Amino acid sequence: MPDLRKLYEAILSGDAKSAVAVTREALAENADPLELVSQFMVPAMDEVGKRFECEEYFVPELLISARAMKGALELLRPLLAARGAEPLGRVAIGTVKGDLHDIGKNLVGSLLEGGGFEVIDLGSDVAPEKFVAAVREKGANIVALSALLTVTMPSMKTTIEALRQAGVREGVKVIVGGAPVTEQYAREIGADGYGDNATAAVALARRLMGRQTTEVPSEGAMAIEGHWDVT
Amino acid sequence: MDFGGTAVTGVHVSCVAALREWFGLEKRPVKVHEPYQMLGWLDEDLKQAMGIDVEGVFPRKTMFGFPNAGWKGWRMPDGLEVLVPEGFVTTVEPSGDILIYPEGDLSAPPSGRMPAGGYFFDSIIRQEPIDEERLNPEDNLEEFTPIAAEDLAHLETESARAAATGRAVIANFGGTAFGDIALVPGPFLKHPKGIRDVAEWYMATRTRRDYIHAVFSRQCEIALDNLERIHHAIGNRVDAVFLCGTDFGTQTSSFCSAATFRELYFPYYQRLNGWVHAHTGWRTFKHSCGSVERFIPAFIEAGFDILNPVQCSAAGMGAEHLKSAYGEMLVFWGGGVDTQRVLPFGTPEEVRAQVLERCEVFARGGGFVFNTIHNIQAGTPVENILAMLEAVREFNGREAIGASHARSSKTI
Repeated sequence: MPDLRKLYEAILSGDAKSAVAVTREALAENADPLELVSQFMVPAMDEVGKRFECEEYFVPELLISARAMKGALELLRPLLAARGAEPLGRVAIGTVKGDLHDIGKNLVGSLLEGGGFEVIDLGSDVAPEKFVAAVREKGANIVALSALLTVTMPSMKTTIEALRQAGVREGVKVIVGGAPVTEQYAREIGADGYGDNATAAVALARRLMGRQTTEVPSEGAMAIEGHWDVT
Repeated sequence: MDFGGTAVTGVHVSCVAALREWFGLEKRPVKVHEPYQMLGWLDEDLKQAMGIDVEGVFPRKTMFGFPNAGWKGWRMPDGLEVLVPEGFVTTVEPSGDILIYPEGDLSAPPSGRMPAGGYFFDSIIRQEPIDEERLNPEDNLEEFTPIAAEDLAHLETESARAAATGRAVIANFGGTAFGDIALVPGPFLKHPKGIRDVAEWYMATRTRRDYIHAVFSRQCEIALDNLERIHHAIGNRVDAVFLCGTDFGTQTSSFCSAATFRELYFPYYQRLNGWVHAHTGWRTFKHSCGSVERFIPAFIEAGFDILNPVQCSAAGMGAEHLKSAYGEMLVFWGGGVDTQRVLPFGTPEEVRAQVLERCEVFARGGGFVFNTIHNIQAGTPVENILAMLEAVREFNGREAIGASHARSSKTI
């Protein structure tokens, strides 16, 4: 069995090749995919988030860590699905109608994924009915709306109204974020929460799903609450 | 006061049209002189009506690589009739999205997309698969070339025109921005090579720093040669030069650490500023959105004279703090009113209050050019733009536009 601490470190340092290699090696030796996710990958992304919060990491570091995490997760996803592992929540994420900017949305999506959520990425310039469809057809229990532009921010309100009109608003939590968005605006449009950066969005989503942000493990002992539950 | 002097201190074409109508100026379609953000050209009559003090000099070609000439009619998605350059060639997708083509060449992949019902374009990312072994800095240098004779002649003519207006002149020569993320995708190139994906570029600033240095280093050499040739042609007809629009700030933080800025960008900024200050009378203009307080000492040390857009709503960018800490060393060109909330969504009274407050702070002891925080966005109510202009006049002790407008209307 490879030293799985290397998986944690590869994600933390954004080394996608190593993250994939260690994961592959571990799977070849029958490692438990759930354990890889909950004990190494999620904690690594939590630490990335913490470093971002304290401005030790910036957007480039977030991007490379997210890429490393995604590389490893790609290998694990089919195995997790085969075992019927349930994610912490299903998030339908997208940049709202009229807005093509997706870096912020992608970062939040990656961090949510790294935080134990299943992410349904609807892309950018997403019409309200697509969010409705993601709730109805894919069982999303969080809708995450992103906007960079002042002129497209009102699409967030339109989307929430569409969810309401479709009769699915009560069953989902709506979270919003993006440069021009504020806590006050989130309240005004009836969103359930606002995050002013990518890591805040993950903490918010966890809170809304009734889970608290985990403590990051120290020195090898990585026994923490798992984010993936087997049903 | 500046409006329209640069591509980051402009006015969306729809707002220019609304202002022309409010002032009762001759009815004619407004020229879109910056097609990426669909900024409208402010004709002399509107400049006078608004009280503009700055004249802009722009490069011969637009962000999509076609010359800013040969005007033709075009209809915005909301029905507004405007004028666009001849090379502004678009197609419409079944979704209603509008695609625009580099150099107006329909045989090239489109390089910009305006979403259905949208107001401006964003770059389409055209990233070839990256082969690490074959990455060549030259591929990211295609757009940085010795200035062509016709481009130089254009700058010569335009700077003479601008200087003759008697206004302060700011020039946008191009080629001096290091890693400006709006330019990285190369919307002006038919087949961009190298690293053109936005996220890939940001990652490269961390993972391929030697490559980025190689690009910046060569770009800097070319830029220095071009600046020398431009200065030889136009002399000191321009007062300020827009050197770099690379954004380092986000709403709450920044895109890199102060240490990374110093290692990766600072040396090139210092060289360009050093040359400009040693050889010309130009002042240098640095644009960066977002929270950039942590970089301001380095901007100053690198030789920048002017900061824009002064995004006071971003973390650590409070007007009073910036003025107190850096007002002796830096001109604030912007910061006049928030364009994320107050100007587009506030009441005219809220606009007036913020403009007066910002003028009080930033104009103290000089060193302030009034401008909104970045371009006036589509959909901004004309009443709010008027409230802003009135507040600036009020601060300057001038007669209200409303009063003079009413009088001139009666005279007519």
